[in-house]
Amino acid sequence: MSIGAMIGDILRSLFKKPATQRYPYERYPTPDRLRGKLFYDPTKCTGCQLCIKDCPSDAIELIVLDKVNKRFVMRYNIDRCTYCAQCVQNCRFDCLSMSNEQYEMAALQRQPFEVFYGRDEDVQFLLERATREDPEAQPCQPPA
Amino acid sequence: MDAQQIGKGKFVVPIGPQHPALKEPGHFEFTVDGEIVTGASVRLGYVHRGIEKGAENRNYTQAMYLMERVCGICSHVHATAFALGTEKLAGITAPPRAQAIRSLVGELERIHSHLLWLGVAAHEGGFDTLFMYSWRDREVVMDLLEGLTGNRVNYSVNVIGGVKVDVDDAQRDAILKGVDFLEERTHHYIKIITTDETLLGRTVGVGVMTKEQAIELGAIGPTGRASGLERDVRVDAPYAGYKDFPVRLVTDEAGDLQARFVVRMKELLESYRLIREILDHLPTGDLTVRAPRRIPAGETVSRVEAPRGELFYYIKSNGTDMPERVKIRTPSLCNWASVINLAPGYKLADMPMILSGIDPCFSCNDRLIKVNDRSVSQVWTWEDLRQHGIEYYR
Ligand code: SF4
Ligand code: SF4
Repeated sequence: MSIGAMIGDILRSLFKKPATQRYPYERYPTPDRLRGKLFYDPTKCTGCQLCIKDCPSDAIELIVLDKVNKRFVMRYNIDRCTYCAQCVQNCRFDCLSMSNEQYEMAALQRQPFEVFYGRDEDVQFLLERATREDPEAQPCQPPA
Repeated sequence: MDAQQIGKGKFVVPIGPQHPALKEPGHFEFTVDGEIVTGASVRLGYVHRGIEKGAENRNYTQAMYLMERVCGICSHVHATAFALGTEKLAGITAPPRAQAIRSLVGELERIHSHLLWLGVAAHEGGFDTLFMYSWRDREVVMDLLEGLTGNRVNYSVNVIGGVKVDVDDAQRDAILKGVDFLEERTHHYIKIITTDETLLGRTVGVGVMTKEQAIELGAIGPTGRASGLERDVRVDAPYAGYKDFPVRLVTDEAGDLQARFVVRMKELLESYRLIREILDHLPTGDLTVRAPRRIPAGETVSRVEAPRGELFYYIKSNGTDMPERVKIRTPSLCNWASVINLAPGYKLADMPMILSGIDPCFSCNDRLIKVNDRSVSQVWTWEDLRQHGIEYYR
């Protein structure tokens, strides 16, 4: 029996650095495997849609502009994504990857949560088509 | 709410639903005669989320991620139980390396859960120093889990038919180093919980449950094992990697709160041993086998040992790619009876300790909500429930 069995811990800690960090001024280096924001590389995509089938939260959608010439745009709703990496696992062509650096995605508006991935000209084309068809459309609404 | 007088010198003291000792909702009513509790009741259901219903509208892989969200502390065992059940229905077995990794992550998760509990229980007993140091050390295992799987909470290790993360040499070294540190700290904590007079005063002889009572009340997990109940799914019906890496059962005869502390801390030591064993003899080979999208019709039961005790899954398939019914029974639910029955005779001030002694998890055991309207009976779809939820909180 003793009283104050943790006194030793307390005294030793007095001479040590704090265990906590002053985030966001100090940042803990993220591990390589951290599952952050999803990225899509259109060059190898075959349009098989396997990634979309198993997404638990409907966060990704493949918009097919031209199946024969493989023109695809992926719409990614960051606010829905649960960062489970199932899409990355499902893709057999290594088109999808998750960043270990971009993980602070909080925003005050909804707009930054909708991301279009694809070749620049395809994304451009898609967005223009959406505004043409519905000039009033809010940016966060699905393009036609 | 104020205490309500129900007789001379007798009061009913309501605790909760907001913040009843822990940061989750549950409602308790203790009848007290002076300081001494003479009766207790519990009401649950404040965090019913309709998860079982939600699973019926998702394919097996999507449902697995939903199951992972049943509990924020033991997310991995839920996904493992669901994946094992689905694999059984599909007639496939994940490769040995995948099974070993499932157990490895399961043990790391047990470590973080037990250390979390140590902190919470110490805090309920007013021993905040132990709370802070145990949580500081818990960060070590959280970092290991994050490094291995990519997330601190929802590890997403499982897929139907295997796992998606591998253990490389760097991971292995990091885990072994972390485990060495934690083992040393755990020995230190065992010394504290068995010698510190202030903590002993709050735990020895409090909430005593005999083995017979434990059987009668259906106590499971460390709560039951602290009363000498020799029950652990990892030992009784080994699943995943536990067939190749047997677990040694940890029990204690005392049955009081002190024993619940000791059993959980000794289980930590067993987990460290198991992790070293798994890492030393990690089977080689593939991480996944091909799983069919449509699961053959049938029904199955899948049991795993969560940090709080036996976790039970029932899965029924109708031959499509979506489950027809998923039933989950989480360990916390089984242990409520022990709290309610053990409370009488102890002081009101002991209640938070007795309550946290079973390591309760509220949101994971809310499977049912009763709506008092006997005149109508209707079946709601997931979409109806969702709309109702949106309208209700509008
Ligand atoms: S990480 Fe998961 S939730 Fe996010 S897009 Fe991929 S599959 Fe969907
Ligand atoms: S799984 Fe891969 S190849 Fe198939 S649609 Fe998705 S990103 Fe493209």
